[in-house]
Parts: sequence; C-alpha cells; structure tokens
Amino acid sequence: MLDFFTIFSKGGIVLWCFQGTGVTESFTGPVNALIRSVILQERSGNNSYSHDALSLKYKLDNEFELVFVVGFQKILTLTYVDKFIDDVQLHFRDRYKNELEQKGALALLNSHFAFEDDFKMLLREAEESSKARGPTSMRSFNASLKSQKTVKSMIETKGGDKGKEQGGKKNKNAKKEGKGEKAKAPTSAQKTEENGNQGLTQEEIIQKKREEFIRKRMGAPVEKPSKSPKPVKEKPKGKEKRVWTLGGSSTKELDYSQSNGNGAHAAGDQGLDRGRGGGRRCCREGGMFGMLKGLVGSKSLSQEDMEPVLDKMRDHLIAKNVAAEIASQLCDSVAKKLEGKVMGTFTTVASTVKGALQDSLVQILQPKRRVDILRDVLEARSQRRPFVITFCGVNGVGKSTNLAKISFWLIENGFTVLIAACDTFRAGAVEQLRTHQRRLNSLHPPQDHGGRPIVQLYEKGYGKDAAGIAMEAIAYARNQAFDVVLVDTAGRMQDNTPLMTALAKLIAVNMPDLVLFVGEALVGNEAVDQLVKFNQALADHSMSDKPRLIDGIVLTKFDTIDDKVGAAISMTYITGQPIVFVGTGQTYNDLRSLNARAVVGALMKA
Amino acid sequence: MEDNRDVEAGENPFQPYLDALRKELEHQDPIFIIGIIISLAVVVISFVLLKYFLSSKTVQSAVLLVGLCDSGKTLLFSRLLSGKFKKTQTSITDSSAPYKAKNEKGSSWTLIDLPGHDSLRPQYVEKFKSAARAIVFVVDSAIFQKEVRDVAEFLYFLLTDSAVSRNVPYLIVACNKQDITMAKSAKLIQQQLEKEMNTLRVTRSAALGTQDGSAGSSVYLGKKGKDFEFSQLPMKVEFLECSARGSKGENGQADIGSLEKSLANL
Repeated sequence: MLDFFTIFSKGGIVLWCFQGTGVTESFTGPVNALIRSVILQERSGNNSYSHDALSLKYKLDNEFELVFVVGFQKILTLTYVDKFIDDVQLHFRDRYKNELEQKGALALLNSHFAFEDDFKMLLREAEESSKARGPTSMRSFNASLKSQKTVKSMIETKGGDKGKEQGGKKNKNAKKEGKGEKAKAPTSAQKTEENGNQGLTQEEIIQKKREEFIRKRMGAPVEKPSKSPKPVKEKPKGKEKRVWTLGGSSTKELDYSQSNGNGAHAAGDQGLDRGRGGGRRCCREGGMFGMLKGLVGSKSLSQEDMEPVLDKMRDHLIAKNVAAEIASQLCDSVAKKLEGKVMGTFTTVASTVKGALQDSLVQILQPKRRVDILRDVLEARSQRRPFVITFCGVNGVGKSTNLAKISFWLIENGFTVLIAACDTFRAGAVEQLRTHQRRLNSLHPPQDHGGRPIVQLYEKGYGKDAAGIAMEAIAYARNQAFDVVLVDTAGRMQDNTPLMTALAKLIAVNMPDLVLFVGEALVGNEAVDQLVKFNQALADHSMSDKPRLIDGIVLTKFDTIDDKVGAAISMTYITGQPIVFVGTGQTYNDLRSLNARAVVGALMKA
Repeated sequence: MEDNRDVEAGENPFQPYLDALRKELEHQDPIFIIGIIISLAVVVISFVLLKYFLSSKTVQSAVLLVGLCDSGKTLLFSRLLSGKFKKTQTSITDSSAPYKAKNEKGSSWTLIDLPGHDSLRPQYVEKFKSAARAIVFVVDSAIFQKEVRDVAEFLYFLLTDSAVSRNVPYLIVACNKQDITMAKSAKLIQQQLEKEMNTLRVTRSAALGTQDGSAGSSVYLGKKGKDFEFSQLPMKVEFLECSARGSKGENGQADIGSLEKSLANL
C-alpha cells in the first residue's frame, strides 16, 4: 500500500529504493519537494508533508547522515507508518553498520545495499500488526463476567462488587453503598466478608464472627467491632473526597524551586559547564577519569542532553525579538537535525547546538532565488515593458518613504520611474509623493536625460478605486516607455477584510512583477500574523490557480533596533521569501541590502 | 642619592628572589636543568610541527564540483569515482572522496561535491573555497536558456570572490546533460555567459551596500572598456561538454571522457 520508500544519504546518493506495485511515476520529484520545503527551510519539527496526492513521512538519521522517506496516497490513513520507519531505520543501521561508518562517500558509492527481503519482511510485520489491532468486537453474553456469577451471589448484596440489580430498592441502595465503600479498602474487606457470609449456615456465621471479634480485640483494641451501626456510619463517610487529577492535594507539588534551581544551574554557565555537569554526573559513577569521559570521546546527542541548551537558546531568541512560535519551531527543527549525532572530541553540547542553530539561521536568511532588481529591470526594458513593483503593508511602516528611497536608487542608475499614487485614502498621501517627485527631479534635472523628467507621478486624487488607477498607470508607463512603475498602496490592517480584498484585487488584476511587503523591524509577534493574513488574502481572492503571493520583504526602521534583529528571521521564516531591501534611516541614501552573516552574528551575540 | 636608593629599593624586592632562585638552581643536579631545557625544546618543536601539519590542510588539494541545483553534480561525482549510475536526490550536505586521476603520475586529490541549492550554496563555497585547486562548474545545458541569469550570477559570485581571485584555481565549465537533444553546445554557452557577465559587471557594482557597511568585493572582472571575455581572466578557463547519464541510459557508460582528460592535466 506504500507508493515508495527511499533511503538516501544527505549528500544526495540514493542507497536503496522501493517502488510499490502499479506505481509508475518516479518519486524523485516529490522527495525533492520535501527536501526543499521542509528540511532546507528548517520546518522539520513535524515529520509529515503532503505533495499533490501523496503524503510523505520522513526520518533523519544524523549519525550516519541518512534520510528515510516513505510516500503513500493521502487518502489512505495508514497507522503503522511511523513505527515502520523507525523499525526500518534500526534494521538498516544494524545491517550496514560497517559500510556506513566509513568516512567519505566511496563506501556508499561502491557498496550495493540489498535490502529487499528485510524490507518486505518488516512491511509484512507492520501490516499484520496494524490488522491485528482491529476494531474490538463486542463480547457475547457468555464471555462476559455476568454469566459467571451465580444467582445466589447476586441476591442481597450489602455492598458487593458491582451489585447486580435484581429489582428492589434495597439492592439499589446496597449498590450505592457498595460503590461508595469500594474505595475504602479496609472497610470493603469487612463488607466482602459479610457478603461471603450469605452462603454459609447460621452456626458457621456465628463461628466466623467470634473469630473476627477475637482478631479485632488483638489487632485494634480501640475499635469495637459492631456491624450494624457500621454500615450506617459509613454512609456519610462513603462520600469520599474527589481527587482532581490536575489539582494538587498539597501545594508541595507546585513548588518548582528545586528543579528550576537545578535547571538554571546546569544551563547557566557557558562553555565547559556542560562538560563539567556531565563530569559531575560521571564522577558519581565512574570515579576519577569519569570527569574526562564527559568531555572526550564520542557521545551521541539525545533529546535530554539538548533540552536545557535549546530552552536557553529559545529564550535568547525570543529576547532578541524573534516571534515566540517561530523560535520554538526553529529549536525543534535543530533538535531533529542533531538527534543521534555523534559529537567530536572536546566539543560540548552547547557549542554543537549553537553551531547548528547558527547554520540554520544563516540558511533561513539566504535568499532562495536570485535577487537582482537592476538586472530584472534591464530584462524588462529589453522586452519593452515596464517593471512594476507594488508595496503593501500595514499602517505606518514606511511604504511611501522607502518607495522614495528606492526610486532614488533607480534613478541614480539611470532608469526612468513612474510613481503611481494608489493610496487614495490617507490625507496628504498624494501631496507627499508629489513632494518626493519634485525633490528627486531637482537632484537629477531633466536636462541630463534628454529633456524628460526622470521621475513622474501618476495620480487621480482621492477616493477613487486603487486597482483602476494602477492599471491606468501601467498602461501610461508602457506608452511613454518608462522603465519602472512603483505602486504605492494605502496601509491596512490585516484583519480588515474589505481592505484586504481590495488589495488582493489590485494585485490580481495588474499582475506586478514584484510584490513587496513592507514590514518594520520593531514588530514582534505581530509579524507572523500580518504576513500570514496578507498571504492568505492574496491567495483567496485571486482568480487563477497560481496566485501572486508576496515575493519579497522590505525591512524598515532597521536603525532603530540595535541588535534585536529577530523580526528579520520571523518574516523570512513565515514566507520563505528573501529580504530585498533594508531601510536604515529616513533620508534618500538610507537603503541597504541584507547581509545574512551580520544579522545572525548580531542575533547570536550574548 | 635618593634616586639611587629608590632604584635599589625597586631591585631589592626582586633581589632576594633572584638570589634564592640562583641558589636553588645551583643546588639541583645539572641533569635537572638539562631536563627542563629538553622539555622546553620538545614543546617548541611540537608547536612548529603542529603548525606545519595544520597549514598543510589549506594547501590546495581539492577539486570542487559546483553548480546550480539539478545540474547533475552528484551523478557526475558518482560517475567519476566509481563509474556507476546512481539515482540522486537534492544534496543537503557535501560529499568528499579521494580521486585518482587518469594520468601517468597517478596523482590523487580530493573530489568534493557541494550542494547546489540556493540557500546552502554560499555557506559551502565559503567553507571550501580556499582549499580549491580547481573548480568544476557544472551547467545544465538543456535548460540553460531559462537559467542563464542564475548561472551567470553564481559564476560571477565565484570569480569575484577574494579567495578565488587570490588562489587562481583552474576553472572548468562542464556543460552537462548533453544526452538531451535540446542541449546547447559549449561554444554557445560560453558566448551567452560572456554577454551576461558583461551586464552583471554593471549591475553588481551598482548594487546596494549591506546594512553593516561592509562593501562587496572590489574585484573587477576582465578589462575596463572592453566586452567581457573569459580569456581576460587571470585563471585558466575551459569549456567542455559531458553527459553524466550517458547516451545509452542508466546502464551505459557516462560520456565524461573530456572531463577526465582535463582533470588528468591538473
């Protein structure tokens, strides 16, 4: 029922693969999509992924650098897949330990992994075990406990086990009593004794009770064994205290100071503390050389080892203004990538985890496609059409200011720019853009460019439909052979549905070359909400099946944050799109591009 | 007078210690002193040797296989090393193995296959660029027309890198996937790349600086005022055609004769 199963190394060589019967298309496409969207984008927190009609589950083996991927149809719900992957992984590792342990790719290339039979056996086992745990059928009457009981034992149950109703209020009361008293262990013993008495004759009952009396005189002389008042007395006691599972009976359980103290202690100091902590543990076990054993030698990382370091890193990231859920997803992904990895000598857990986190942060910030606006503008110019850039974002993030900066940069490089004033709502928006246009034209006077002003403003006043203005502006630019059209839109909150619909309509109708989301670097957890809702709106209201989503991010007000640069991470993680421009001030020259290493360095700095 | 006394007072605190040390040394066996001197010498020698061995790693002994995603680097890697055809997926990490060149000397160096995915490329190139003796730039000849700007940008990034322009490794541009009928020839690819690099020289130098003020590399490719040509570069560049899959499909031989010959000439 599986469509395919592959085992390949992280370097890209497929070691073994299995294709289900009747499956014709190759699995390379879906697996590549899995790698690119999940593993490389650090979303390996949950281990399943769906691509078209297929559902893919995967597992990383970090010790031998292998990836195990299984694919099956999405409509099937196979319950045995998770355990099956784990079994296959363990089996494969054990069987090919020798080849896998060798360093270098030659061993992987030269050896042939004949895993077919083992795989078929494991698959059969997994399928059978899932079938074995089929739906439980109802028991027949004969199989139940009810048929085992004799009629006699069910009559007159004064607090018997699950007193069977044979009719009569007496039995009902007895059942209630029985249930209430069941919890009270010492008394129920007495009750069952009484129950058992029903089957005996009168003399034997007296005999038994005499023995009881004597026993009780010996054991608990305080308590006077009296049977008749007992059941009455126990009725109020039968109502026992309700034990809430989540509430503590005492506040002792709520006192976390001990564990907190230990946790802070262990993760508090940097560097060798982890090794020393391990040494302390080892000292208790292994004596003098145990302390060194924690530092030297190959130790494979487990979840518990990484837990305190990852918690600390998560808090550090959140303190640096990374959105909380992004930080926790990132830490989960790093944990998945490092689980089972063998550390080298003289490396501590903290340094390994920090290094891995740093690598994944740099990887997230690297653009996943080429970012070169000037080149694309030249390309559009050669095709005799204008290059259209649209700016969208919430209120007050700096769209108009950064639009002016970008147009300054473009005219510095000799391109003609048309600014489309599609912000028909905010008071003074059109005038603001007109002032920018005048200033830019004075910096680059038309005499230098063949008598034509290098920046022009296309506006239709206030209150009109933004999408219509944008369409007319683009047509005008095409007629007048402008190189770039910059479309300025009104700021809008992501929850405002009519405004989001209007924005989506503008983008869907005009099909700009670049849709830039302008976000400020000061935003914290809001960034996640903003981007998700903007992308959602753009996807929902577009007519085509390939909707235009956000293509890039402009990060503004970067000079106001010192090293709390987490917003960059949140935004690129959510959308997967690169940060195209960084605004670092309020004059025309304050426009930069992103340096991933510098940002990650500032982020990881203590 | 007072100065003298001050100076003496300065020396005096050390004087008793020096005397004591001298007395101690004289008391000890001369063997002890020799022992100290020998151990010091051993430490110094081991430092020197360690430095020598560590620095030998940065001696260029590696050939890097770079290129865009899906250009066939991992399959080429497998063919060069073992001659076998292996199914491949997108690489996440690098793979390296020693390679024996097919020449009379039988020299062997390390062949390293770097991942081509855009988010991993810069990190891995950064890691291995200083150890590169030769760079094999793999290009997908079949879809070259669509990707020409991306290929050119990566090549530009490689050529303007400071470490690469300092070490001047041998550059081989391998136009892969020649078994597909629509594949472009090496000559055409060279012309297109030269045209593209010409444009890139202008746009890249006009690109924005980064936010922390670090300027991009200031290496200018080719000659100012003239169109860019690969012959103007300080390093030796060679364009050749190859097919990692081979014309006979999966079971046949790969068509990498020219690549192997070039590698043998290193």
